[in-house]
Amino acid sequence: MQPIIRAHNLSYKINDKKLFQGITFDLFKGKALHIKGENGSGKTTLLKIVCGLTTPTKGDLTTNTNKKICYIGHKNALKQYLSIEDNLALMNVGNHQDIQKYLSIFDLDKSLDINIANLSFGQQKKIALLRLFLNNSDLLILDEPCVGLDMNTQKILVEFLNQELLNGKVVLFSSHISLDIVSDSLSI
Amino acid sequence: MDIIKFEFLKLLKKSRGWLGPILVFTLIMIAYPLTVELTDIELGQSFFSILWIAALLVMMLATEDIFLEDFNDGSLEQYAISQNNLSFVVGSKIFIYWLVIGLPISALGSIFCVGIINQPNFGFQIFPVLLISTYIFMNVFSFGNALSLTKGSILGTLVTLPLLLPLLIILGKVVIAINFDLNYSGFLFLLLGILSIIIVIIPMITSYIIRAHLE
Amino acid sequence: MFQVNRAYPYIFYLSLAIYLFSVFWGLFLTPEDFVQGNSYRIIYLHVPASFISQSLYLAMAIASAVYLIWKVKLSVYLVRSIAPIGAMTTFIALISGSIWGIPTWGTWWVWDARIVSTLILFIMYLGLISLHDSFNNNEKADKFLSILVLVGSVNIPIIKMSVEWWSTLHQPASVTISEKPAIDLVMLYPLFGSIIGFTGLVTCLVILSSKLQILKREKNKSWVNDYV
Repeated sequence: MQPIIRAHNLSYKINDKKLFQGITFDLFKGKALHIKGENGSGKTTLLKIVCGLTTPTKGDLTTNTNKKICYIGHKNALKQYLSIEDNLALMNVGNHQDIQKYLSIFDLDKSLDINIANLSFGQQKKIALLRLFLNNSDLLILDEPCVGLDMNTQKILVEFLNQELLNGKVVLFSSHISLDIVSDSLSI
Repeated sequence: MDIIKFEFLKLLKKSRGWLGPILVFTLIMIAYPLTVELTDIELGQSFFSILWIAALLVMMLATEDIFLEDFNDGSLEQYAISQNNLSFVVGSKIFIYWLVIGLPISALGSIFCVGIINQPNFGFQIFPVLLISTYIFMNVFSFGNALSLTKGSILGTLVTLPLLLPLLIILGKVVIAINFDLNYSGFLFLLLGILSIIIVIIPMITSYIIRAHLE
Repeated sequence: MFQVNRAYPYIFYLSLAIYLFSVFWGLFLTPEDFVQGNSYRIIYLHVPASFISQSLYLAMAIASAVYLIWKVKLSVYLVRSIAPIGAMTTFIALISGSIWGIPTWGTWWVWDARIVSTLILFIMYLGLISLHDSFNNNEKADKFLSILVLVGSVNIPIIKMSVEWWSTLHQPASVTISEKPAIDLVMLYPLFGSIIGFTGLVTCLVILSSKLQILKREKNKSWVNDYV
């Protein structure tokens, strides 16, 4: 069976300084991989390489998926001057009922016309995570997904990811906090 | 097509993005006759120069945050990952900005032309020229904006300003042709040709630059 | 390590000799022009400078294309090192053109197409240098520099053709490939000599500048420590 991601001997240099080298891994359906490392070791860069945003200096990477990649990064991709409703329309994910379901779980379904700028950091992160909860991809790439979330939301996220793994999707994530997901780990 | 709709909604709600340049343009065109003596001859001679310069500078102002905000809050990243065709996104952004800013400016410019030079003919003739030239300005300034996306947009836009000066020379010739009632359709086709090349090349180059910035 | 080091003194002294000889010949041994008197002699500085400034931009464009297609790092070092030299020669061309204008046409600046396009070229050179230096990340800066050089190369045909497309103050080409030159042969030979000599001198400058650029950009490599 073909792996969804096959990475072979990836290495990356910035301004002639090596960030990491010799990263090799295979990810099959239903598996998760946890990228560990200190600050500045290159976790975000590795995730961006898998997304296709960055090209590695050496090595190659193949992804065998037809659908788009779902990437949740450090930035939320939300417009600060628009309301929650407008941002959800721009995100163009899922149908109305699913959105309402998750909004009520996150306690944000009361006032949909307040500006994103008036929400707290954690609330904005929850809206951004809706892109993950309503995804239509085979490959989920998460860069520190639990930053700013309370314990309840972290539990919901972990449950969701475990369910997605059972559905045959692939999860690649980096996190300083240890999450309760069945995963291999890779240290940079 | 969804992208065009979304960009349109985004720009409309961000009123400072399009209202600002239009108001600046109107202000320049209103303030200009105040600085010259109000005799018909002198107004007519330098009116067109002011029109082109005002359009140029207002386009520079309008493209100041065409990519900056999307880059800073991560939307460009999402576009780059999900859409394989980033140049279509860039092209539609530029088109929407032109539709919401460039089109009203061209209309206003023609109206001012009719008002200041008392020949309605000039206004109708200058309108298509204004349309095409504002679109070219917008394209080249977005390219300049993308070049220095992470360093503040002014440097890149200033660096690409010299590329537009030959276009100003051509626009000057168009005005002379209009003034002498010559057939200026040759110039119109020249401008259309330049536009057709630019409309294809600039989004491709700009998307390449944006991908380099996202690395 | 640098093979060109051996040939460099020969190139330098040869081109210096050619240039000085041609200038001397042009300044003192050729007759006066019928219309312009002695003031035309600045042609021995102005024509080589403007010819070189456009050729340098063309060289930069070709090197940028090579970098973008084949990712050869040496070409982008070359582009970066040519840029200040190109700016300098364009400046010399502009200044010498203005000096020529005063006795001949009574004005030291006029807004015709060729002069404005050369001014645009000068500003483009300065813009290239400032854009490249404003980035910390070298690879990004190289890519953007090459792209900007290629996009700006649309200016070169405008400079070349501007004297034909629009009626300008600048005179049309006196020397073409197909026709008999409009300039007298006595003045033509020192002109060719001065062009060749000036090209050689500018080549020496480019060699020096690119050596410096290579050493600066590769300073983390071991061979640089051995060399320096």
